Amino acid sequence: MDDGRGDGKIIGPLPGLSIELVESEAIGTVGVGEATIPQIVLFNAMLGLDEMEFMRETHATYKLGIEFVDWTRIGHRYIHPFGTHGIDMMGIEFRHHWLKGRQLGDTSELEEYSISAMAARSNRFMRPTPEQPRSPLARLAYAFQFDAGRYARFLRGYAEQRGVRRTEGRIVEVEQDPESGFVTALKLDNDQRVEGELFIDCSGFRALLIGQTLGVPFVDWSKWLPNDRAVAIPCTLGPDRKPITRSTARRCGWQWNIPLQHRVGNGHVYSSAHISDDEATEVLLANLEGEPLASPNQLRFTAGHRARAWEKNVVALGLAGGFLEPLESTSIHLVQSGIARLMSLFPTRAFTPCEIERYNRETLEEYVDIRDFLVLHYMATERDDSEYWNYCRNIEPPERLAEKLAMFRSSGRVFREHNELFTEASWEAVLVGQGIRAEGYHPVADMLPDDETLRRLASIRATIAQAVAQMPTQEQFLESNGGAIDPAMRMSV
Amino acid sequence: MSNDSVSAAGGDGEIGRVVIVGGGTAGWMAAAALSRFLDNGCRRIALIESDAIGTVGVGEATIPPIVGFNAMLDIDENAFLRATQGTIKLGIEFVNWSRIGDRYIHPFGFFGQDLHGIPFHQLWLRENGRGDPGYISEYCMSAVAAAGRKFGRPSQKARPPLSEMLYAFHFDASLYARFLRQRAERQGVTRHEGRIVKVHRDGETGDVTAVELEGGRRIEGDLFVDCSGFRALLIGEALGVGYEDWNHWLPVDRAIPVPTTNVAPPDPFTRATAHGAGWQWRIPLQHRTGNGHVYCSAFTSDEEAERVLMANLESEPFADPRVIRFTTGRRKESWSHNVVCMGLSSGFLEPLESTSIHLVQNGIQRLLALFPGKPISPLERDEYNRGMRDLYEDIRDFIILHYKATERDDTPFWRHVRDMPIPETLQRKIDLWKVHGRVFREGKELFGTVSWVAVMLGQNIWPDAYDPIADSLEEHKVAAAMAEMRERYRAAAAALPTQEEFLRAAGAWAASDVRPQPAAVR
Repeated sequence: MDDGRGDGKIIGPLPGLSIELVESEAIGTVGVGEATIPQIVLFNAMLGLDEMEFMRETHATYKLGIEFVDWTRIGHRYIHPFGTHGIDMMGIEFRHHWLKGRQLGDTSELEEYSISAMAARSNRFMRPTPEQPRSPLARLAYAFQFDAGRYARFLRGYAEQRGVRRTEGRIVEVEQDPESGFVTALKLDNDQRVEGELFIDCSGFRALLIGQTLGVPFVDWSKWLPNDRAVAIPCTLGPDRKPITRSTARRCGWQWNIPLQHRVGNGHVYSSAHISDDEATEVLLANLEGEPLASPNQLRFTAGHRARAWEKNVVALGLAGGFLEPLESTSIHLVQSGIARLMSLFPTRAFTPCEIERYNRETLEEYVDIRDFLVLHYMATERDDSEYWNYCRNIEPPERLAEKLAMFRSSGRVFREHNELFTEASWEAVLVGQGIRAEGYHPVADMLPDDETLRRLASIRATIAQAVAQMPTQEQFLESNGGAIDPAMRMSV
Repeated sequence: MSNDSVSAAGGDGEIGRVVIVGGGTAGWMAAAALSRFLDNGCRRIALIESDAIGTVGVGEATIPPIVGFNAMLDIDENAFLRATQGTIKLGIEFVNWSRIGDRYIHPFGFFGQDLHGIPFHQLWLRENGRGDPGYISEYCMSAVAAAGRKFGRPSQKARPPLSEMLYAFHFDASLYARFLRQRAERQGVTRHEGRIVKVHRDGETGDVTAVELEGGRRIEGDLFVDCSGFRALLIGEALGVGYEDWNHWLPVDRAIPVPTTNVAPPDPFTRATAHGAGWQWRIPLQHRTGNGHVYCSAFTSDEEAERVLMANLESEPFADPRVIRFTTGRRKESWSHNVVCMGLSSGFLEPLESTSIHLVQNGIQRLLALFPGKPISPLERDEYNRGMRDLYEDIRDFIILHYKATERDDTPFWRHVRDMPIPETLQRKIDLWKVHGRVFREGKELFGTVSWVAVMLGQNIWPDAYDPIADSLEEHKVAAAMAEMRERYRAAAAALPTQEEFLRAAGAWAASDVRPQPAAVR
């Protein structure tokens, strides 16, 4: 990335490249309140967005992690925070020292060693301070929760300002080159015809180009991820506005709670084989912290992905490319990483096969990585209070996940594969949080005398608590930095 | 916690006795590292070596991760340089590789600054097609310093461009082993002198239980680290783990090393000069220069190879040349039963990219990260083997590139390597590069974008086009930004001391300036 020495205007549109976006106002979008992961910060920076303007325009809040409630067993909760836990000591990961501490009788939770988790618990926020590498604040990592509809509108303004042409209309026909099968043009219901050399299919579940036109099959992963419906509803703000997404396990699925500046997004993700739509809606409505602001919005989906995200001259992004439930807030990230990958492999008219193959291979790996991480949440549970959980608990894990579990169980070790999205810190948070017990830990942890281990654990906790106490609340931070929305727009009872 | 939880140390779960077989560079590196991290009072580490058996370690060049290894062992860098006659290494200069008369540097560190997420080398490729951006190495802190024979150690607080200067070392490997031996013995490692005559194995599991020395002394262990060199006493001879031969991709199979006196202050880089049937290294230490001719016996004789070496020395040799034979390849499993092999017993890749010591270091760090309990978990052993295999294959591919990407056709050797088939993984890298100059680092691959770009361009493989995304940058602004970068590197290097000045000022220069007598160097 540019280090800021340039005047920030070096980049411009590719000469000779015109970008056109076709959409129809008659077709709704799926995007509900959206939670993200820290990579979004980079994406916004790449676009040169002003963070505070973005916060205001999208009514965004900060997100320091996800709190999982009732997942391991009813009444249990844990945080999967962004950033890391503790600090590595003696050349080995902090986790091993914590595991040793547990065996010595220390009862602290892993999340007490995460600045992000502890700040989230007390509704505090500030940006990390990498210029003070010794402070735990240097290790804070964050993402955003925002109104996806507003985000799309915000980006539309940005794109149009930079020359993207928007064409209104419904696509009624797709023209293809008779020989190569490449898409050559789209015909709209208002008789317009839009030609192109590269088509980006963001048509949602419908997958108009990649699926309907080019016939790239969808790979169904519902045997690993059986949830296939969601019902979403926004509600007024409650008293709890912590900078964190909450996921609460229900009898036949789970419910999200995403607090924005003006309202709370809620949704119930469930398996239609185990619960009816009406019951699922009842569960949702019975568990809102405020008053509903709309009628419930039903969605149907199948977990899985398009066999090839890039086929001929069509690249599928978003729901057209696949769907993984929002349990770890990866939907927007998948779009973002697809864009970044397309930028790094941007084609010429030759559409070189080795570059397209590379795009598809990387995309698939990313889907597999996320899938495995999601499956972990379901199979590592003690819950046996419903058919649904009995089913989930007994899901056969994909091979790589099985290896990861076995490795962690035997010695508390976690290895990150290739460029895997989720870090060791994420895996350890969820493995520990879901109640997987490590039988051992790294022998090097024993080089510290027992009392020294306990002393250092306590000292890290104290340092983090001290740092958190000095942080402003999220509201104060937004107010003083100009990221807060007009209070009149807040919807509370 | 309930009582059924088993702690890492204590009871049946513990590996209590580690036995390292062989005391060359690999053996003492392993001993120093394991004793630093594993000695909690109840774990014993023994090393067996025989003074009657020589070691292969010649003057050694390394790559930047060695800095981290030394730091991990809490080694003071200046004391280490002093003790090993060490010098700084900022990269490798390749001479005559692509064409006779060509030269390029594969530097450590980075090329320029990326702009808006567009890799710097793409900007350079674009500029190169229009104006005169100079060599890409002019945008690399280490390369610019190397060209001026300069060095300054970047402090932890250093800012760009100095903080971009990555470095490694050249040192005398036998002095390094001696240096590490002192530390290891201080950290409680017991050294046993003697030649191993028998390996005892458990009748049921096949695990190694003990090694027997001449005179009948038995040394028992729970975990054995085989550092016995090419002989592979435990992993090969005792356990029968096979060897994967990569000779068809890397046909050089012999080396003749010889030291010479220094005729000038040492250069802070390694040089690799291609010859008719192989190549010659030049590794400048404080007190002497290491040289060696690596060649392919199918294309030249030992006598001819020695003649070529002697004809290409800068000064008088002060030891007799000796021929080392090897087969490029790797042990099929680096860890089998309770034996982990390191160094030459685990495989051999010619020192073209100075990876031998790194392979030992990486094996040690991997073993520490996966240090087993008892019984050894097959899952963890597999993870170790998978990681080592990937590392060996990554290095293999990178080395093959140097031979494959050549225009030389002046000898049968060069025609052979130019036309040989190469691994699919490497072919894919070259193909992707040729389209738009794109480089993708696979997983935890050792060599990053800078290395691949340096060698691809250095060996004259030019992409058909640069990344089309680079066209989104305004040309005059890019040209201005690049000119500014180039000047910053130039000015930063100009302000540095020469490497010898640096070493002397840092207290890293060996006490005596007297050139060693031939007898002093084994």
